[in-house]
Amino acid sequence: MATGERDNEAVRAASETIVEETELGYQVFNAPDEPVLDQHDTDRIPRFDVTQEMLTEGGDDPTNWLMFGNNYEAHRHTTADVITKDNVDRLELEYEMEVGANSSMEGSPIIVPGDPPVMYQANGPSHVKAIDAREGEILWAYTYPAPEDAVLCCDDNNRGVAVWKDKVYMTSLDSGVQALDRYTGEEVWYVSTADYKEGYSATWAPIIYDGILFTGSAGGEYGVRGFHCAIDAETGEELWRLETCPEEEYVGDSIKQSGGTNWMTPTLDTERELLYFNVGNPSPDFNGTVRPGPNRNTCSTLCVDPRSGEILWAHQESAHDIWDYDSANMRMLIRDVEIDHLDYRGDIVYNAGKTSWTYTMDPDSGDLLIRGEPLTQQINFMRLVPHVEEEREYVMLPGLLGGVDWQPASYCPETGLCYHKVLNTPHSVKWQNEEYRPGEKFWGGVVDVEPDEEDIPEEYNGHISCIAAVDPTTGRVKWRDWIDSDRYLWGGTMSTATGLLFAGTQNGDLIAYDGETGDRLWEFDLSDKAIAGDPVSWYDPETEKQYVAIQIGGSGFVGRGPRGDRLAVFSLKK
Amino acid sequence: MVTRFMVGSYKPQITARDREQLAVELGADTSVTDSTLTLTELRDTVGAETDPAFASMGKAIRADLRGQLDADRIQAGLSGLEAQLARASEVRAVGIPERFGPGDAGVQKLYRELIDPVWGTYDHLVDVGFFESLSDNLPAFTPEHIDRTARGLVTADLLTAGLVDCGFDERERTALMMDVVNNDTRLSRWVPTQDIPEGVEFDVDYVPPLYHRAIGGGLLWIKSLDRHLVQKRILLTEDILDDAFWRAKAILGGADSFLRAVNDVAADGSELTDEQLIAGVSGGAAIAIVNQEELMREAYWITEEKRAPSKAR
Repeated sequence: MATGERDNEAVRAASETIVEETELGYQVFNAPDEPVLDQHDTDRIPRFDVTQEMLTEGGDDPTNWLMFGNNYEAHRHTTADVITKDNVDRLELEYEMEVGANSSMEGSPIIVPGDPPVMYQANGPSHVKAIDAREGEILWAYTYPAPEDAVLCCDDNNRGVAVWKDKVYMTSLDSGVQALDRYTGEEVWYVSTADYKEGYSATWAPIIYDGILFTGSAGGEYGVRGFHCAIDAETGEELWRLETCPEEEYVGDSIKQSGGTNWMTPTLDTERELLYFNVGNPSPDFNGTVRPGPNRNTCSTLCVDPRSGEILWAHQESAHDIWDYDSANMRMLIRDVEIDHLDYRGDIVYNAGKTSWTYTMDPDSGDLLIRGEPLTQQINFMRLVPHVEEEREYVMLPGLLGGVDWQPASYCPETGLCYHKVLNTPHSVKWQNEEYRPGEKFWGGVVDVEPDEEDIPEEYNGHISCIAAVDPTTGRVKWRDWIDSDRYLWGGTMSTATGLLFAGTQNGDLIAYDGETGDRLWEFDLSDKAIAGDPVSWYDPETEKQYVAIQIGGSGFVGRGPRGDRLAVFSLKK
Repeated sequence: MVTRFMVGSYKPQITARDREQLAVELGADTSVTDSTLTLTELRDTVGAETDPAFASMGKAIRADLRGQLDADRIQAGLSGLEAQLARASEVRAVGIPERFGPGDAGVQKLYRELIDPVWGTYDHLVDVGFFESLSDNLPAFTPEHIDRTARGLVTADLLTAGLVDCGFDERERTALMMDVVNNDTRLSRWVPTQDIPEGVEFDVDYVPPLYHRAIGGGLLWIKSLDRHLVQKRILLTEDILDDAFWRAKAILGGADSFLRAVNDVAADGSELTDEQLIAGVSGGAAIAIVNQEELMREAYWITEEKRAPSKAR
């Protein structure tokens, strides 16, 4: 166990914060009234700016992991090549930490290179710390005072931070963005992007490009209207804001409860200077008759000019969605691919959806080039939900968590494959107009995440989840590893230049796959808790080791927990 | 009931059994009906009945909106819609709109041209509170209301004959009538805003009036079709294109009936009885509801079973 975490005031403040499910959703209790910053050996943090050049080229540099997806294209791929298929069985646990909250551990730590490399690790509720990534020691820790009247549909997630110049940026549960001094943890500025009392919140890692921070919106389950906005990373000034759902695409006041939030990290095309991002479901979730029309641009990929916020195209995966099939999976930009059967040569935008389909799109038009074969079974799929009065149990698959939900995928240029964590989980849904049920987070209907056995269709294969490899140029599933559990498979994947794929499972194992074949080459039993975190990796030239870090712990209701508070770092010496 | 289609044609297929069922549902004198019964013949056997409830509703709506409607604007929208409907088959002939540039802006307007003339009238109706007036004066889509609406539609010559002028043949008009008659359960899900209890899962203040949702929703589905078809080209089959076209045309048929009734209110009762007025707005809205849901199911929710085969697998 690394030292320093137990007597850190900010860690203790986060630890003492209680997040509980109430009739309104998840709520935070016993949070500190004021921000808590605890500094230790902050001089250890190398003083230099994280430049735009570092961010742009960071994905090719094995010594860092500078943003949520490691590059703007969101490949979650490391060029570090010490760990190979031949030696991965020698990977060892370097250190572990108690990070400071019994939280959903859904994030990706950020690694700024240097001597030593510095890890910026975040988790709920709105807690971030700087860690000597070599020694596993906390250098500073900061806990934001999350308000107790914030309501959260799906736990107290924080999926990571952004870094730029001398600052680190964290979204906060009250729908804010907090800029901190990267070297000291001291507050530089804070902005609120929306009123959390209306149900807005923020849980994702933002990205920064050319001094502009891009951040979205969460809270669709509370009927808020989704937006995305650009903020001056130096000053916190808002530069533009777009509402994802245009007023002219809705009937009357239904726009005011449009939903269409944007609750995962965007992807950026630096050559075209275009943002591609995910848009969530319309609101209310299951009763579409009160919001007629396709409900553009919900459940969509949105392509936006990052300078102006102008929407250039939208590609919708579930028109007039009534199954909570929001499309949160972070988009990938993959360059210079060849799609033989279309005679297409060029870049593609790619993602998987809750529908269980993968989508390969033209980055200029949004036209669908390929819709991949389903990653899961599709049973009672895309049908009108029976009215509650009909008393029909409607069990659908994919359930309301997908397919592929937010779980960040990875791409490996060496194999040409994309890797997804997938849920093959049936849920039952009914409309509900007649009564209000306190505590129901999914509005306009009744959801049962554990349907009666006799209501589950016979065709269901019984496998709750899998990890799957997909060729984005054909949509074919190259391999699939079914993973059974009574929990959901949460968290992301990471590919390596040596053709490995790393992924944690809901059963507490960290697995290294042969990315080409899907063979399990190495497994490590980390915990009896779920792993909802996303692996990251970096190479430290000083120690000549490649490291792999992952956060351990599940995610409350949505991931069927249990939560956790650990960070594990593995290493292998060259 | 889902209307069936002839392969390779956008026309809805109506069987003898469908016609017989329609006659029964409308309470026609089945002793004089046969399997080739036309809507016109059906009208003669159903006979016009006086419906005091419908008449009362019609009077109330006229009273509510007297002097508030811009007759010229409504007539212009109606005329424009009818002109577009008359040339609608050209849209099906093109099939998938062309892409001439990047992004959403680079998509040819085909379906959007069909609905272009309606927007001005639609906005006007929103502005004067026409949809609210309908909600205030009309009941939910109960089986009884649907039954009365269907009878009113079939006996209102102006409404059924009007669709002939717009290019709807006998089979198509029968299909629209069946959409009204056979979907009372589905229509009942579109509850009026005032019937949604306080404290339900969504904010009732943000739910537009039922008739606003019916007509506005139908227009939005058609508005989205150009980009949808272009973007999803690889998934499309001729059957999907047929379905999309017919459902769009059917929605506009519903809108046409609706606007004819509205036009009559604006003109202060020139041609329709008060009962026929209610049949026009309710029937038009019902047709728009049923067909926008079918458009969604048939042309937007493109499952594996329905999609064009992938050339990659």
